[in-house]
Amino acid sequence: MSRKVSQHIAFITFRLLGSLVVGILFWILGFIIYKGISVISWDFLTTAPTDGMMSGGIFPAIVGTLCLVIGSIIFAFPLGVMSAIYTNEYAGNGWIVKFIRVMTNNLSGIPSIVFGLFGMALFVNTLGFGDSILAASLTLGLLILPLVIRTTEEALKAIPNSFRTGSLALGASKLQTIRKVVLPMAFPNIITGLILSLGRVSGETAPILFTVAAYFLPKLPNSIFDQVMALPYHLYVVATSGTDVGASRPIAYGTALVLIAIVLLINLLATFLRRYFGKKVKTN
Amino acid sequence: MIEAKNIDFYYGDFHALKNISMAMEANTVTAFIGPSGCGKSTFLRLFNRMNDLIDGTRLTGECLVDGQNIYSKSIHVDELRKKIGMVFQKANPFPKSIFENVAYGLRVNNMGDKSFIRQRVEESLAAAALWDEVKDKLKKSAFELSGGQQQRLCIARALAVSPSILLMDEPASALDPISTSKIEELIHSLKKDYTIVIVTHNMQQAARVSDKTGFFMLGDLIEFSDTKKMFLSPEKEQTQNYITGRFG
Amino acid sequence: MKHTERELSALKEEVSQMWRLVISQVEKVKQAYFSGDVEVAREIASREKRVDAFELKIDSDCENYIALFSPVAVDLRLVLSMIKISSTLERIGDFAEGIARHVVENECNKIDSALLEELQMEKIFDTLITMLSDSYVALESENTKLSGKILAKDNEIDELYNKSVDILTSHMRANTDFIACGLKTFLLIRKLERIGDHCSNIVEEIVFYVDAKVLKHGGRENAKR
Repeated sequence: MSRKVSQHIAFITFRLLGSLVVGILFWILGFIIYKGISVISWDFLTTAPTDGMMSGGIFPAIVGTLCLVIGSIIFAFPLGVMSAIYTNEYAGNGWIVKFIRVMTNNLSGIPSIVFGLFGMALFVNTLGFGDSILAASLTLGLLILPLVIRTTEEALKAIPNSFRTGSLALGASKLQTIRKVVLPMAFPNIITGLILSLGRVSGETAPILFTVAAYFLPKLPNSIFDQVMALPYHLYVVATSGTDVGASRPIAYGTALVLIAIVLLINLLATFLRRYFGKKVKTN
Repeated sequence: MIEAKNIDFYYGDFHALKNISMAMEANTVTAFIGPSGCGKSTFLRLFNRMNDLIDGTRLTGECLVDGQNIYSKSIHVDELRKKIGMVFQKANPFPKSIFENVAYGLRVNNMGDKSFIRQRVEESLAAAALWDEVKDKLKKSAFELSGGQQQRLCIARALAVSPSILLMDEPASALDPISTSKIEELIHSLKKDYTIVIVTHNMQQAARVSDKTGFFMLGDLIEFSDTKKMFLSPEKEQTQNYITGRFG
Repeated sequence: MKHTERELSALKEEVSQMWRLVISQVEKVKQAYFSGDVEVAREIASREKRVDAFELKIDSDCENYIALFSPVAVDLRLVLSMIKISSTLERIGDFAEGIARHVVENECNKIDSALLEELQMEKIFDTLITMLSDSYVALESENTKLSGKILAKDNEIDELYNKSVDILTSHMRANTDFIACGLKTFLLIRKLERIGDHCSNIVEEIVFYVDAKVLKHGGRENAKR
């Protein structure tokens, strides 16, 4: 077989596999949109569920998910970024750092249900937060912490050392160098990592199962110690254990569509922010 | 005036510099030449303590700048680096505007108010022979400049904090001949205000810009003498073999 | 051997050839002078063109080498000294040709052998030939030990030259018919003396190349120490 032919075959194979991935994605999206678009309406997005969740909207679940996303980010982002800065910029390459890295990787390998149980044991019971936004946010924060640390570390590593030495050689301190040169340059990538973890948080079910999620709570939270509904859990509920699973099927698809739309929006936002900050860093 | 006395330097177990002593006069250009890995860059980096950033290094001997040992405890490294500027092999402007690049050193060192900074930026760019080329686009990103301009920007950035010594680590090795000759011209004109130490792989460059040349090999300072003498009649056979290309 | 070194040794070989040619010119001119052989003298004049051609060739080779290889240190010194040595050899060749012309014109060739003896003409010729061959050896062997000896020989020639002024003056005073030939003979000795000077310049170039010491213009005193 000539090299040209084998090259051709390889290209065709790669192209097929590539289209397969895209095809599956579009199939799922199309399926969800097809099944769910009929229930989407302004009311669906802005009212609470009624009739044993067989009709009405999903507004409390949307709000709940947003609360959890914001809460977990407030917790995980500063902690994650700072520990990444510590391990990458300050700690050198001793065994402690290596140990921390291994542990971080291990942390990201733990199943999310374990985080849920841990969150329940520590935040809900021991610290006495009860089933609350706070407890769930902390749990979700722990869950995405490894992701934030990893992406931040990668972002920091991507900054060539020449910028650090260049800054230090001008008499800048290490902190000034990190604040004024390294972080602004790494920012677009850090933001990307952050927003990807937002997508992860908004879709997680297991960790919120024991820490915040309400089966049915058609009102908005008043404080961080309140329970809320959340989209993934609501989806699970209406799809499996509602009062009439068959009748609430369209609502389940509608919920799924909203959830996917939120994740997609967050990813789009990530791309946009990345571009925006990328440009800003270069010209500022 | 820079003076090194019996410098020994180690990277871990590796003996990178072996008992080196030399003195560099104020307002002269001193060039270090030698094959890769001979220790010339390591030696250069001793003078603004850039080697401090590398783990597992050890130094014995004295590095005196204006009579003061820069490795003594009373020396503040940030202050020292302000006094001893450095230009690197690859131009490394920050991802900021041209103006902010030059102003950076002034800002981090809290030197002067807005108008002082503006004036100093202009002076530095002029001293680096870049002002005329960039005066209309100070707000543009430094990355829009050509490689040679970026390197001159880095020189301007180093000059802004008013150092007395300028260390250059192969400043023109990545540049085309025209940019290179501009940098060399610049080195010539900066000599009257600064003491310059330059590491270069290009021996003709060392010959063109420097007053004195030091030849390093395997961590030893083989020969240190007037550049003219070095390139016409070096004393040591090793030097001669290296500069005439008979090395190895 | 690297190609730059091959170029250099080729250059050196050219200078050696030119040098051998010039030495034989001087030897021949001695022969022609003492035997009055016009044929040999004509041959010298015609071979002078080859000496000139050598100089042009060496000049352009040196220029090329400098332009292309930017020599430094010992290489630079070699090329510089080759340029100067070849142009000096060319001057020596010119003088040899001048003496050959003197033989061809013939009017004053046959002067009294007692006078030749008194002027020590043969010694002058022989000393020059020794100087030329010694400095040739010095370059070939890159050894400058001979330089002091050669420079001392130049002083001997200078002395003989100075003496010849008195000798010729007294002869011309005694015999006014001899004035024309006496002046021509003096010019001839003057040429020989110039060859000696050029020869010591060559030695200085060799020392500059090998030892990197500049002997010229008083540097000679330092070198002797």
